[in-house]
Amino acid sequence: MGVEGIGARVLRKEDKRFITGRGRYTDDMTVPGMCHAAFVRSPHAHAKITSIDASVAEGMPGVIGFLNGQQLQGDGIGNLICGWMIHSKDGSPMNMGAWPALASETVRYVGQAIAVVVAETRAQARDAADAIVVEFEELDAVADAVSALKDGAPQLHPEAPGNLIYDWEIGDSSAVDAAIASAAHVTKMEIVNNRLVPNAMEPRAALGVYDPADEHYTVWTTSQNPHVARLVMSAFYNVAPEHKLRVIAPDVGGGFGSKIYIYPEEIVCLWASKRTGVPVKWVADRTEAFLTDAHGRDHVSHVEMAFDADNRMTALKVDTVANFGAYMSLFSSSVPTYLYATLLSGQYVIPAIHCNVKAVYTNTTPVDAYRGAGRPEATYVLERIVETAARELGVSPAELRRKNFIREFPYQTPVIMAYDAGDYEVSLEAAMAAADWNGFADRRAEAESRGKKRGIGMSCYIEACGIAPSQAVGSLGAGVGLWESAEVRVNPVGTVEILTGSHSHGQGHETTFAQLVNERFGLPVDNVQIVHGDTDKVQFGMGTYGSRSGAVGMSAIVKALDKVESKAKKIAAHLLEASEGDIVIENGEVKVAGTDRKLGWHEVCLAAYTAHNLPDGMEPGLKEGAFYDPTNFTFPAGCYICEVEVDPDTGKTQIIQFVAADDFGKIINPMIVEGQVHGGLAQGIGQAMLEGCSYDKESGQLMTASYMDYTMPRADDMPSFNVSTTETICPGNPLGMKGCGEAGAIGSPPAVINAITDAIGTNDLNMPATPEKVWRAIHAA
Amino acid sequence: MDMTGEYRIPARREDVWEAMNDPEVLKKSIPGCQSLEKVSDTEMTAKVVSKIGPVKATFNGHVTLSDIDPPKGYHISGEGKGGVAGFAKGGADVHLAEDGAETVLTYEAKAQVGGKLAQLGSRMIDSTAKKMADEFFANISEHFGGTPGEEEGVLEHAVHEMEDVARDAEEKLEVAAGRGYLGGPIAWGFAALGVLILVILILS
Repeated sequence: MGVEGIGARVLRKEDKRFITGRGRYTDDMTVPGMCHAAFVRSPHAHAKITSIDASVAEGMPGVIGFLNGQQLQGDGIGNLICGWMIHSKDGSPMNMGAWPALASETVRYVGQAIAVVVAETRAQARDAADAIVVEFEELDAVADAVSALKDGAPQLHPEAPGNLIYDWEIGDSSAVDAAIASAAHVTKMEIVNNRLVPNAMEPRAALGVYDPADEHYTVWTTSQNPHVARLVMSAFYNVAPEHKLRVIAPDVGGGFGSKIYIYPEEIVCLWASKRTGVPVKWVADRTEAFLTDAHGRDHVSHVEMAFDADNRMTALKVDTVANFGAYMSLFSSSVPTYLYATLLSGQYVIPAIHCNVKAVYTNTTPVDAYRGAGRPEATYVLERIVETAARELGVSPAELRRKNFIREFPYQTPVIMAYDAGDYEVSLEAAMAAADWNGFADRRAEAESRGKKRGIGMSCYIEACGIAPSQAVGSLGAGVGLWESAEVRVNPVGTVEILTGSHSHGQGHETTFAQLVNERFGLPVDNVQIVHGDTDKVQFGMGTYGSRSGAVGMSAIVKALDKVESKAKKIAAHLLEASEGDIVIENGEVKVAGTDRKLGWHEVCLAAYTAHNLPDGMEPGLKEGAFYDPTNFTFPAGCYICEVEVDPDTGKTQIIQFVAADDFGKIINPMIVEGQVHGGLAQGIGQAMLEGCSYDKESGQLMTASYMDYTMPRADDMPSFNVSTTETICPGNPLGMKGCGEAGAIGSPPAVINAITDAIGTNDLNMPATPEKVWRAIHAA
Repeated sequence: MDMTGEYRIPARREDVWEAMNDPEVLKKSIPGCQSLEKVSDTEMTAKVVSKIGPVKATFNGHVTLSDIDPPKGYHISGEGKGGVAGFAKGGADVHLAEDGAETVLTYEAKAQVGGKLAQLGSRMIDSTAKKMADEFFANISEHFGGTPGEEEGVLEHAVHEMEDVARDAEEKLEVAAGRGYLGGPIAWGFAALGVLILVILILS
């Protein structure tokens, strides 16, 4: 390990600009003549639009134009789509309702965009939007998915009778039923995974610029995957032809999945720029973010787990209703299916698993992938029922898990996934040692003497990262391949530019990726520039989500670096009159092994570009590209332990300690990995104890649309985390990496709830475990 | 959102009923009421400026009475539109019961708020309702020449039972609204109707 190579705690290069206020986000972009958009949005969860009167607004100061959904449709702008086809168990394709970027007939959730005003200033645009009078004929609304499935429920889309998008299953239902029928013990639970609002620090934004001279479009947007945005906007939404559309995602301030999707606003900004002849910028305010950023989770599941007389798991049966909101967001269909049910084996040998998922329309904000996307829901289902089963069986939760761990790899689960490597026992033991699990009884007694209730809870999660092998996901319905690309440009002076199709929205790619170059060539990380987020600069790429930038994105860089290294060695061998096989590159020098003959790295690079003396037939230059398609998902796993103390008088829960022992495979920068884990834990603990998105069940009004009502985790809600890693190398990619971006949010919620329920002596507690809910649970128990 | 209330009014039921039909006094007593007009025997319109949490707006309200059964009660329903601030709509069953020389008024109101009012103000609605009810009683009291605190115990208690859907929790609040504010029997009729209109037009 060099001081800047793989395994080094290199400070994040990008932080200099972030912490000095010099980050450049979409809202920092200005172009000459730029005007501002404000959207007219529905105050109703379900209504027909009977009239739109913009007569006053159009005469207001600074107003450039008013545009509505009929004009949008008239210009051939296509409806928003879901890009992952799921078939119901009867073989029928999913029922997708039409989602126009601006509604002209029916609105189906509060906040849905109806029209847009473009004006010279943001304030003028908002004043004019407020002056637009929309008359509605209100319709009955339904906000929760279970109610939406009932007979007589308000119907959202003619394409989806009964509000049912699909009724999907995986696994062997009859094997599961047989195992449950003959089980020695069956644990049953209803498990709710609460809806979350993403709350990225930077709200969504877009700046659309149409240049009539070249008939060319540019959009700056808050995207985790600018190339996907360009593809979808051109191929499906007909906003602009792909070769005439440049998508730039500059610095992006958090996304957690919510910035994967292409939303109505960026489509409208581009279209409005062409329509009005001025560049059009829109920046969401926080209320718009609450109302329109794709939400996360929102599952209700009935779960049964069967055990034999020896406490071995024999079957798992899961019946899930997933709330999709009013429209199918871009990847929504994949979340409660292939990103969820395929992980239901967890870390355990479970011979038979069956999962049925009903996806349901409701009059709420669309739901899509959010940090973990399906895997947190699977982990919560599994780890809560395992903990509950241990209590029912009267065995230690650690022992029950240990008894059922998968111990031989590769392991084929009954639900598609084939785990390549792992050692769950090691993570479990590391976490239990770090948490002083064996000393808990004394700590509980001590707390009891002070009138407090102490509890300890565990969660052994697994997730699937490195999304994803293209052929595999294609066979499961994905509309895109999920490989990644890289280009390595070595400049004549020896500095290096890495162009990657992944795109950081806070993960520290500029540092981690540079460390890889340092490891390979010995160049200082300051001599490496990472270029990402611009479709005019970077070759096609698939973006950043699903903890894929390391396992997939860096693997592509490795492949490109291999080619660069090979060519550099050929040049050096030629210049040094040595055999190519004897050339080594280290510490910025290109040497003949075992001799003192060497060239500086920069000398080899310059030779590649002067081309005065290259091997016969070699092309000049030193620039190579590569595409990397993974062969499998990667499977990070770990054990989390949470210890809490509950005040029985107030229901207030304090986290005494939180231990995370993760196996992420090979780690490039431990400091960045720890930061990712810390952030994920805060998000997961936020879900478990604080965050709960709530709709009025009858009116479909979002009642938690500001920080007055939606509680985000703060520093003083968190303990000082005890984070460590264990390592099994991922055999599926050249660096042996697994991915760390989502683990914290996946593994922590069940650990927290298991701890609180242990403290208060009940299994019946739903997230978020607010003091009120905990207090009521204590008094109900 | 569901709210219920009960008021003991030291007046005969007929007097209370009569008082529930004079828009002029109501207009003076409802906080922020700019106009209140009877457009027919069963309909009223009102304009009320109100601030709930961070949301301040002029609400144009329309109220309809139905199932009229003088002097025992009626169903009152209505909606208030606050433009970009959102809207409120709902209805209430109002019952007047005789208890000796006094009248017990009870109501069961069901209401919805929407738009910014729901997004930003839902947490404040209950406390705002209490504040405005207090203000309304004080205004009524003054209207009849009384001063706050002159008599006690007229309004024994008002229980607001509110289902706080946002947190899926129920809270019971003992609201001693208007304790000691008294102008005379007729004022309590106005007070009762005023609360209903407040509930429907503005608050919840």
